[in-house]
Amino acid sequence: MSPSTVMVRLGKASKTFHAGTVNEVRPLQNVDLEIAAGSFVIVLGGNGSGKSTLLNAIAGSFLLDSGQIELDGQNVTDWPEHKRAALIGRVFQNPFSGTAPNMTIAENFALATRRGLFRGLGWATSSQRMEELRDRVRDLKMGLENRLDTAIGSLSGGQRQALTLLMATWLKPRLLLLDEHTAALDPKSADQVIALTDQIIHRENLTTLMVTHSMQQAVNLGDRIVMMHKGRVLHDFDARKKRRLGTDDLLAIFENIRRRELLDEGAAEMLRQQYV
Amino acid sequence: MTLLIGALTLGTILALLAIGVYLSFRIFAIADITVDGSLTLGASVTGVLLIQGSLHPLLATGAGFLAGMVAGMVTGVLQTRFRINPLLSGILVMTALYSVNLRVMGRSNLPFLGATTLSTLCEQLGVRWLGGERIELFGWEVASGDVTVLLLMLLFVALVAILLWAFLKTDLGTAMRASGDNPQMVRAMGGNVEAFRVVGLALANGLVGLAGSLWAQYQNFADAQMGIGMVVWGLASVIIGEAMTGVAGVGLAITGAILGSILFRELVAIALSFGLNPNDLKLVTAAFVFVALVLPETLSRLSVQRPRGQQEVA
Ligand SMILES: Nc1ncnc2c1ncn2[C@@H]1O[C@H](COP(=O)(O)OP(=O)(O)OP(=O)(O)O)[C@@H](O)[C@H]1O
Ligand SMILES: [Mg+2]
Repeated sequence: MSPSTVMVRLGKASKTFHAGTVNEVRPLQNVDLEIAAGSFVIVLGGNGSGKSTLLNAIAGSFLLDSGQIELDGQNVTDWPEHKRAALIGRVFQNPFSGTAPNMTIAENFALATRRGLFRGLGWATSSQRMEELRDRVRDLKMGLENRLDTAIGSLSGGQRQALTLLMATWLKPRLLLLDEHTAALDPKSADQVIALTDQIIHRENLTTLMVTHSMQQAVNLGDRIVMMHKGRVLHDFDARKKRRLGTDDLLAIFENIRRRELLDEGAAEMLRQQYV
Repeated sequence: MTLLIGALTLGTILALLAIGVYLSFRIFAIADITVDGSLTLGASVTGVLLIQGSLHPLLATGAGFLAGMVAGMVTGVLQTRFRINPLLSGILVMTALYSVNLRVMGRSNLPFLGATTLSTLCEQLGVRWLGGERIELFGWEVASGDVTVLLLMLLFVALVAILLWAFLKTDLGTAMRASGDNPQMVRAMGGNVEAFRVVGLALANGLVGLAGSLWAQYQNFADAQMGIGMVVWGLASVIIGEAMTGVAGVGLAITGAILGSILFRELVAIALSFGLNPNDLKLVTAAFVFVALVLPETLSRLSVQRPRGQQEVA
């Protein structure tokens, strides 16, 4: 696969929630987005700008109202979530979301070893799998390799996110989706998980979309920044432009957006006073 | 002694019901009232095949299992494909099954008089193996047939339990269990959560149908009323079992359900012999489950850990 191949292509992707009610929100509005194979894209944007919705739309948590999604050259627009999972690895913001809490670490990984594959009557925690699992969990240096039979729900958030990341990438995914996967962690655990993330992505050369609120992470990681606002892609910085961006520049851009928004609201208020 | 053996046998047969309820209640967190109908369905299908079809008891028993599976499958499809509330899905299928059972039997009570059942087969084996109609057991004289039925039922339930345990440890079974624990995660791992639920409820009600089939053959009749309240009976057995073995693993939980069923039937037999009015039995059972559910502190002191609810995330 040449590096210029497109791995993800969104064409005029739109989604409206609660259409026709006072609660109507349009977190995706005609979004066009192409992501090259092997690129590591950071997704930024304020609260409610549509970042999670973008990732959920690609993963198939819901179907688009209109528009198209292509993954690795296949049109997956109508595929249900579990079918797309064959191509996608995911880590969620909430450490509870990515693991089955009452099942053991070993059993959770048994699921990951068959992501997107047929599940038959083979023994889930076969000794061969457990051996490989122990090796790869040992690499995390969290001392979990001897606790494979404990319920995964008894682990800390950081440990769970590290394991979820390992599970999501156990079979190499065409696309890795990370939605603020360190936001619920204390700073030290967050740093650990981020280091692991960067390491896995580079080792496996994974195409990645990573949502974050951390300007630090945005500057240090990845080779492209996509900035969302009100359901649209407002800025798109490629690798060359991204290299020149510092955290201050990013904060300035955010401030800019905020000011423009206030201006908009001020204008709307003026109009209202004039006409109502 | 004969009374004790009778209670043990029934407790063993109804262990299959308890295992079925364990599947729906603990894995999918549904109190699946389909059970009330599928128990009777297993009994009535087996009965009709034995009497009118003169089928071999083993085949007729298998048919009872399959009939229960179909009932569970329908409930599962109502829940997943048609998104009907799980409790309501169960109520709908249970209600429908009441008519179905009357149709199958052609009447509300179907005696198995003269038909060869699994129980009569076991009794014949017992007489042959133990060499006589009656034998001495711990100083009591008991019918050898009764003892054989109990032993073979224990063996059969143990076999079913081991098969189920092994299934729950396979790739498919593990994914099915996880789909009750965290459906979002299972979807992200490519599992079809809806399909797992249909399969799981089919399996659960298949076991219940099997329990109904064996129970009817043991008591030598099927009755349209025999399933009423049995989901609560199953819950009581599961809860007692959890108090005994804890829930720290599928194997322990299944063992607990079996032991719970036997112990519960034993307690009921004792209560009845001390003068409990049989008409009050369902009230007492329901009250027992109520108490067990509203006293989680008491339970968690007895059992190790109770499955937690799901976390939903935006
Ligand atoms: N499943 C849903 N049903 C209804 N509304 C939704 C759903 N998912 C998202 N929304 C709404 O869409 C808007 C965008 O939400 P989204 O979660 O994509 O924002 P975000 O950029 O991820 O924000 P945050 O930084 O707070 O995570 C919000 O107003 C949210 O309430
Ligand atoms: Mg979000």
